[in-house]
Amino acid sequence: MSALAVEGLIAGYEPDLPIVREASLAVAPGEILAVLGPNGAGKSTLIKAIAGLVRVYGGRVLLEGEEITNAPAHTMVRRGLAFVPQTENVFANLSIAENLDLAAAIVKAPRARVGALYDLFPDLARQRRLAAGRLSGGQRQMLAVARALVVAPRVLMLDEPSAGLSPKLVGQVFEKLLEIRASGVTIVLVEQNVKAALAIADRGVILVEGKERVMGEAQSLMDDPAVAELYLGRSGRHAGEGA
Amino acid sequence: MLQLIADGLVVGSVVSLGAVGLTMTYAILRFANFAHGELLAWGAYLALSMLGILLAIGGAERMVPLSPFSFGWELVVAALVACVGAAAIALVLDKLLFSRLRHGAAITLVIASFGAALALRNLLQFLWGPIPTYYSRELQIAIPLVPRDVLGGMRITPDQLLVLALAAATVVGLHLFLTRTTLGKAMRATALNPQLARVAGVDVDGVIRATWIIGAVLATIAGVLAGLTVQLRPQLGFDLLLPLFAAAILGGIGNVYGAVLGGLIVGLAESLAVPLIGAEYRAAVSFLVIIAILLVRPQGLLGERT
Amino acid sequence: MDALLPVLSYATFFLVFVSVFAVIVLGLNLQWGFTGLFNVGVAGFVAIGAYTSAILTAPDYPNQVGGFGLPVVVGMVGAMVTSGLAALVVGVAALRLRHDYLAITTFGIAMTIQLVALNAQWLTGGAFGLQFVPRPFTETFGTTLGANAAYLALCLAILALVYVALERLVRSPFGRVLRAIREDETAAQSLGKRAFVFRLQSFVIGCAVMGLGGALYAHFVGFVAAEDFLPILTFQLWAMLIVGGAGNNRGAVLGAFVVWGVWTLSGNLLRELTPQAEQARGAALQVVLIGIALCAMLVWRPRGLIGERVGEGGKAKRGGS
Repeated sequence: MSALAVEGLIAGYEPDLPIVREASLAVAPGEILAVLGPNGAGKSTLIKAIAGLVRVYGGRVLLEGEEITNAPAHTMVRRGLAFVPQTENVFANLSIAENLDLAAAIVKAPRARVGALYDLFPDLARQRRLAAGRLSGGQRQMLAVARALVVAPRVLMLDEPSAGLSPKLVGQVFEKLLEIRASGVTIVLVEQNVKAALAIADRGVILVEGKERVMGEAQSLMDDPAVAELYLGRSGRHAGEGA
Repeated sequence: MLQLIADGLVVGSVVSLGAVGLTMTYAILRFANFAHGELLAWGAYLALSMLGILLAIGGAERMVPLSPFSFGWELVVAALVACVGAAAIALVLDKLLFSRLRHGAAITLVIASFGAALALRNLLQFLWGPIPTYYSRELQIAIPLVPRDVLGGMRITPDQLLVLALAAATVVGLHLFLTRTTLGKAMRATALNPQLARVAGVDVDGVIRATWIIGAVLATIAGVLAGLTVQLRPQLGFDLLLPLFAAAILGGIGNVYGAVLGGLIVGLAESLAVPLIGAEYRAAVSFLVIIAILLVRPQGLLGERT
Repeated sequence: MDALLPVLSYATFFLVFVSVFAVIVLGLNLQWGFTGLFNVGVAGFVAIGAYTSAILTAPDYPNQVGGFGLPVVVGMVGAMVTSGLAALVVGVAALRLRHDYLAITTFGIAMTIQLVALNAQWLTGGAFGLQFVPRPFTETFGTTLGANAAYLALCLAILALVYVALERLVRSPFGRVLRAIREDETAAQSLGKRAFVFRLQSFVIGCAVMGLGGALYAHFVGFVAAEDFLPILTFQLWAMLIVGGAGNNRGAVLGAFVVWGVWTLSGNLLRELTPQAEQARGAALQVVLIGIALCAMLVWRPRGLIGERVGEGGKAKRGGS
């Protein structure tokens, strides 16, 4: 059974103008799936529709076989699905510790879990009193991921975690994602940064105009000239140079 | 002088209670609710009607006062029932009006609240009539707290002392609620970042309902206390609206503790300004407070964000 | 002909009010319809205009400021200046901040002006108001109808003037910037301090037009009193704009006609239907109904009867998500 599966999903902001058009994909347990595609392909809308933040007009979303289509966003964490938004993904006015404590309090998570997260993110542990709004981009992203892990999800979805980060920081964040995966969490990653994403992903799916076009092993996608064509349009030759 | 301070603090306590609800609505729903004053008035009048019903059931002519206060147990029960009624009004208003406009521009909500305020105020006047009234005609003896030869002295009635005590107790209770309970923390998260709160597992719709209920309950307490210490009139909510806004802005709009502080300052400012500008201009003090704070420190005394 | 006379004079009377309101609503439309500024104190700015023009033009009152006896035209210009100045104070304090602050501050100034009107005996005549405000054309024409008709012509001319001026303004580059600021918060932010200056200009001009409306009112009725500028007036004017359709000057004028017509008719009807003792309650019920109507309009027909013409920057708002 897939950890997360999407079947013929139609979703968007207006019923007669869907942005996701009959998209389907499946993620195996413990896998990292990269969702790629050109700008405006509907990647972000797709992941938000799965998270319950964008309305689904057709098709199904299954979490470990259980249908969660259009379930309210706040119920997702209780079902084991966590989401890291692209922007405003931390409580900027609160300190690191307050961010994690608040997130833990909302889902009544055991206190030990926040402690375990500090072990996973020693950088955050070192400056718990610092306001999240004053963190650097990379650390803020780390905090956003840590916040999502407070609920001990089985599936973690991230919307462009590399956005606005230097290559070095992208490396650090993605490094951390591999560690998280190693602990058994399934990861779905929406990314502009094709090269970095495919470097850590097991498989990738390329979305074009709201529908999956190419699916496959990460390595094979990297080498596939058709992917470059799809991804960068007519002139594209360097699939790996995205973002 | 001392007497003015005491009077100001009593008025300020009522304003604080109302302003807390107003500022919470702003923090969670992100709009200035011009109908909030009407929740005070409706709470106060619902309590009045409930009081009449209770007295009629008991076959009593009037309340037997719970010494040393001017009112009997009936008013306490009536106020509790009124809290439920005011909360119901707030929830219905949200369901019928505000929830439908929530996804558009925030200012539409302000206009809607303006229309709702007008409808509620006039409906109240339609139902209860325009003539001012009282819960109890019992006269109270003011307790001299400070002798007359010290700064003019200070006297205060037991009812007024109760207002101060209730306001303080409510603020402590609210603080414990916001810092200790899951719902309180969920409200804080929603105020800070509704979208993130949602993905972190906060039932934002539930938080919104809770906000309306708490705001309406505090408004009812404030309205009943205003009715108890001054009088009941249909414009009660309208007349308090500007002080409520002044208190909320002064404290930093969205900041609960700021609203309490702001309420006390507005109450004091009104009271102390009376000898200077005359009682007839008392209501303008709130406006001057608003203009002054916007020019000097627009984020308010306790506000952080601009 | 004799039977027609009362109808005619009532129609003139009614239309003068409509055109006065239309002038004020046009000022409000510049603020809300074209700039997105929510002014809750319209009645206050109208009052400032009415009192200013009255004081400048009226004869000497005992123990009061006045006796300038200036021409009505000077009064009207003065009305625009004072209303504009009041708007400047409010705008400087509130327009840098979120929209709600302007709503609260304008609400506050209207309350304060109401207090001054009621209590500043030396300036406003207090509860008695200002009597003997000059009514133009009363001496030129022997009959009330004639004078009223002439005044109606004056009001319509001023309405046309204001309409054309505002139309030109909103179609100018200045107007396009205003709409950009209203539509697009990021555009507004990128303009930074200049967005504030644009908003301030729009707000001050709008309030000056409201002041002019107040002056027109004062010189028609012949006296000014505090109870003419209660919050209900603000509400009626808003209802006119919302019903007519914000962002459209023709809608604003139409809204003034429709809402004032409905208001007068329903008021007359309620007076007929309710017994003498219950008149106050009947009036309250009228406001309840109109309040509900305004809310219903916001929910079901947010663009009003006419609304902003498509293609003028008025992108359809995204429906819920």
